[in-house]
Amino acid sequence: MTCDEAIKLMDGYLDGELDPIANQTIEQHLRECQKCDEAYKTHSALIRSIGKATPYYKAPSGLRERIQASLREEIAERSPRSVSRNIPSLFPSLIQSKQSERRAVLFGTQWNWLALAAAIVLAAIIAFNLAPRLRRPGADQFLATQLIASHVRSLMANHLTDVASSDQHTVKPWLDAKLDFAPVVVDLSSEGFPLVGGRLDYLDNRPVAALVYQRRKHFINLFVWPAESGSVSADKRITRQGYQLLHWVDSDFNYWAVSDVSDNDLQAFKQVFEKQLPRR
Amino acid sequence: MTQRREQEDVGSFEEVMLPHLDAAHNLARWLLRNDQDAQDVVQEAYLRAFKSFAGFHGSNGRAWLLTIVRNTSYTLLKKNRAVDLTTTFDEEIHVAGHESVSPATILEHSEDAELIKEAMDELPSEFREILALRHQEGLSYKEISEIAQIPPGTVMSRLARARAKLKEYLAARMSK
Repeated sequence: MTCDEAIKLMDGYLDGELDPIANQTIEQHLRECQKCDEAYKTHSALIRSIGKATPYYKAPSGLRERIQASLREEIAERSPRSVSRNIPSLFPSLIQSKQSERRAVLFGTQWNWLALAAAIVLAAIIAFNLAPRLRRPGADQFLATQLIASHVRSLMANHLTDVASSDQHTVKPWLDAKLDFAPVVVDLSSEGFPLVGGRLDYLDNRPVAALVYQRRKHFINLFVWPAESGSVSADKRITRQGYQLLHWVDSDFNYWAVSDVSDNDLQAFKQVFEKQLPRR
Repeated sequence: MTQRREQEDVGSFEEVMLPHLDAAHNLARWLLRNDQDAQDVVQEAYLRAFKSFAGFHGSNGRAWLLTIVRNTSYTLLKKNRAVDLTTTFDEEIHVAGHESVSPATILEHSEDAELIKEAMDELPSEFREILALRHQEGLSYKEISEIAQIPPGTVMSRLARARAKLKEYLAARMSK
């Protein structure tokens, strides 16, 4: 090991983060080279001393209470929405009301109440189906902006991939280890969309997986994160600033493909991707 | 009933995440260099974390929370202080007149908290965060790579550059 190499590894050695072989090599070098040994001793003493003396900013009193209050405010705001979330549990009462209808016919009473109940259930079902659609467009546009920005950034900053590999068995474990979910990774070389690698990204307030595929000279970023349970939505196509975005959802995941390839290419990409998914 | 379940959710969220409040605040404070901003960002980060808590299945709550704190901090930094981020990779910031300061002299002053604070605050945000995460939270390179969203191999070199820069700034302050 040369002195230059030893100096490069010094911080890793100081932090105990080298593998055993590198550790041994640098230790041997420090035994043999007095200059490096002295440099290491000064450096480590200094770094330890600085580390200990660096001011630690504990949370001020009151911040904990502020946070707890804001969390309670958050669920208080949610509760009106939580009514519509409970709609599925209203269906049993619809069935029940049919039974009581029969009884009502038998006993010839309470028609008005049934009509009112049916109207409420109907209104709730309509609201339940419409509410997400009403909320969506703005949210989608915002997400689309984020997606395009992420796509452009990945191409510009020379940070297309964190793990560059066309082997799905390399990319998948890498991503699994870094995320709180395990995205499906498939190579689509045989279909004309070779896998280039994977990357961590941050979208919609959460870490997401970005799978990078190539189509001729163009790149496709496929962003993947877990779908909310029970969320069903039709495919979405958005064209913006010359980029194509294609969105779909399967039982487990949200997918957003972003690229400058044509809409047809992106549709084809989605089809071959779905075809290659392991059967579950 | 939903109300009660949500209150239980808040309870378990607080149980897992509130113990890391000091770590969250320390990171935000070093990144933002301002008490008020740090508190606002930490509060916002906790709210974001709560909203995506259902997606958290890991065991490392601190790293998960710090990732969100970091991202929230950068959102604010980018919005308010484009200037701050432009110096990030400017390795050529000129610091004159420190060549005469010996390592022994730096060591003598290395327990001077005020001096270290001033020198740290001069560093680019990438260096401030990596030093806080390693020196103060004692996080592993792997955890740091996840929080700072950089490849594991980059952590050691960035940490080395951050430390070298900090030493340089300390020396510059001593020779004044």
